[in-house]
Amino acid sequence: MKKISLIPVLLVGALLVYAAQDFPEWGSPNSPASQSPVSSHFIANTGVDTEVPNMVTAVLADYRGFDTMFETVVVFIAGMAVLAILKNSSKKKAGSKEFEVDVEPDLIVTNTVRLLIPVIQIFAFYVLAHGHVSPGGGFQGGVVMGASFILIALSWDLDTALARFPADRCTLVAGLGIVLYAGIGLLSMFLGGEFLDYAELAQIFPVSREMARYHAMLGVEIGVGLTVTAIMFSLYANLSTEGRLKGGL
Amino acid sequence: MMENAIAWILIFPLFGSVACAILGMTNRKICYPIAVLSLACALWAGIETLNQLIASEEHTVAYLLGGWTLDAYPRGVGIELHADILGILITLVVLGVGLIVSVYSKLPVQEETPGKEPLFYTLFLLQVTGLAGICLTGDAFNLYVLIEVAALTGYGLIAMGSNRAAAATFNYVMLGTIGASFYLLGVGYLYIKTGTLNMVGIHDVIEANGLADSATMQVAFVLIGMGILIKMAFFPFHAWLPNAYCNAPTATSSLLAPLVTKVMIYVMIRMVLSVFGVEFSFESTMWTDVVPWLVVVAIVCAAVMALAQREIKRMLSYLIVAEVGYMVGGVWIYNYYGFIGSIFHVISDACMTLCLFLGAGLILRKAKTTHFDGLRGLFSKMPLTMTGFFIGGFSIIGLPPTCGFFSKWYLITGGMVSERWEYMVVLMFSTMVMVVLFFRLIERIHLAVTESGQNLGHGHGDLGLTEEQTRFDEGPLSMLIPLLVSASVVLIVGIYNQDIVSLIEIFLDEFNLPRGEGH
Repeated sequence: MKKISLIPVLLVGALLVYAAQDFPEWGSPNSPASQSPVSSHFIANTGVDTEVPNMVTAVLADYRGFDTMFETVVVFIAGMAVLAILKNSSKKKAGSKEFEVDVEPDLIVTNTVRLLIPVIQIFAFYVLAHGHVSPGGGFQGGVVMGASFILIALSWDLDTALARFPADRCTLVAGLGIVLYAGIGLLSMFLGGEFLDYAELAQIFPVSREMARYHAMLGVEIGVGLTVTAIMFSLYANLSTEGRLKGGL
Repeated sequence: MMENAIAWILIFPLFGSVACAILGMTNRKICYPIAVLSLACALWAGIETLNQLIASEEHTVAYLLGGWTLDAYPRGVGIELHADILGILITLVVLGVGLIVSVYSKLPVQEETPGKEPLFYTLFLLQVTGLAGICLTGDAFNLYVLIEVAALTGYGLIAMGSNRAAAATFNYVMLGTIGASFYLLGVGYLYIKTGTLNMVGIHDVIEANGLADSATMQVAFVLIGMGILIKMAFFPFHAWLPNAYCNAPTATSSLLAPLVTKVMIYVMIRMVLSVFGVEFSFESTMWTDVVPWLVVVAIVCAAVMALAQREIKRMLSYLIVAEVGYMVGGVWIYNYYGFIGSIFHVISDACMTLCLFLGAGLILRKAKTTHFDGLRGLFSKMPLTMTGFFIGGFSIIGLPPTCGFFSKWYLITGGMVSERWEYMVVLMFSTMVMVVLFFRLIERIHLAVTESGQNLGHGHGDLGLTEEQTRFDEGPLSMLIPLLVSASVVLIVGIYNQDIVSLIEIFLDEFNLPRGEGH
């Protein structure tokens, strides 16, 4: 069976090699992707359109903001699907082993983590808020933030982490993240633009149309960050305890 | 408000799903009305978009998200929702099926997944959002994102089912991920050669630069095509489908079975006609020579496997695989009538599969089994349910005036005009198999003869059941009415087929498809 499965692998590999003969030169300024009006527009006009220095953030959160909204929804779905599969599942399985942890949290570990957590969380905010000018943004910041809660769960136990971020609140925060993102889009629609046309927000905030895009991008990044934070922690809490939310690794 | 109708189609279920997740934590009962209401609003927005589209000159509604309008910015800078007649018709099918299933789902969800209503409806609404978005988007990468939304919610919804659902879902996850990866890789190649992700933009560049002979584009076509074929459960990539749909909760299989495969057929038609273009897809590739023969194998195998089943849901799952073969064949026989048939069959197959799965759900609830042996006497017990179920069955067979007859008629006409006799023969063969399948079911329900020929009753009309077992005992109205509505939709779509076909003709007229001699 292993040998048979080699055949499709080799076939697809051969296909990819065959496709490569017709590629444009590596990094060539004459390749269609560099020549197209789309990327030229991004390079020339991102600053003019949105005042955002980081082109990647502008493409992600504004030009292609609709994609990013659904990417956030995908993260949300992942969390909800894990909940849907694991919730209450342990009640059906009688006699499944409980992994109760009786060990006291280690003194050195907890004290180190006590020092680390604030730094990690402030760094998460920095990554999120600085997405406009440097690499970063909602997804990255959210993951760092979520990791700080997972670190609490690893070094004390899950109950300690859940006391700070209860499971119900995870769902609430994740949902609010999406509401924030789509809500900014909806608000710009009510103000007379298209869905996600942040420039229209200039009508209610005392900023120019370009700066309205700039600030709305921060808003949607915060939405992304909320959803990612909550779902990261919710995934860890549910997967490590088979949905029971007690005991754990 | 009105000019944004196309965006509202996606906004209503998106906000509805988040509302289910958040409000459902305190009050589980509120999820069901939210789901029904948001889908009803989305359907209204869909009909509004259809009206705008018919009123417009080019029969398209283009909506530039984020205000990156075409007059001020190059095409492809922002993401475009691009609805033409094909897209909006399939969107309306998605929303209609979603609404009917959401009304139907009240009791099955409470009984099969107690305590999980908020999660179910969250995923349910996002599934509809994803599928409707696939039909509306005009951006090749956005299509991938929405395929992921639809796929992930599907995995979650299926895995909520019986104990065996988890294993079935795992297979589905694997195959679904492979299919989506192929599609994404293909889109990457498209971007390398064209420098845009907008569907209209890609098509323009292919035409302008004469990319039909480019090796990269040919490979992109194969990758995208393969990815979509895996996603639509085209034989032999169908292995995930029967197990997934059989073990899923009733409401899930009623939603997914009519929609997921059909929406992927839509994606194939969209790619072939609008993105790569007729010339590229049919003249410079070998798919027109090869695929109809694969379709023949697919339909024969799926029909034979359907014959071997002794369980309604499993039998219906194999029928879906056969129907996918019909529609793929209708596209690749490369013919005007084949395309009409394929598109119309997407619509009619969604209606009749919905009808059958809703019926199967009611049977399962009442008889506690969908095995053939447990069906005896069901007609006298639940006549309305069985009537609805049979209308769906007659449509699968292709009896007039159900919609299945008309779509099959166009498919066969297409095969005749293109002189693809193998496709016509296999359509006839599969029709025969469907006749056997459904009349065998009818026999089981009305007669007391078992598999081995033993007669349990005493003479004509005696089912060998007690008075108690055949007493009138219909399913609850919240489930029965959606079934009857879907059965009447099967009839209405059949009777008014000419109106739908004339819309499809307007869509197809701009593509220069061969119509055979004498036209």
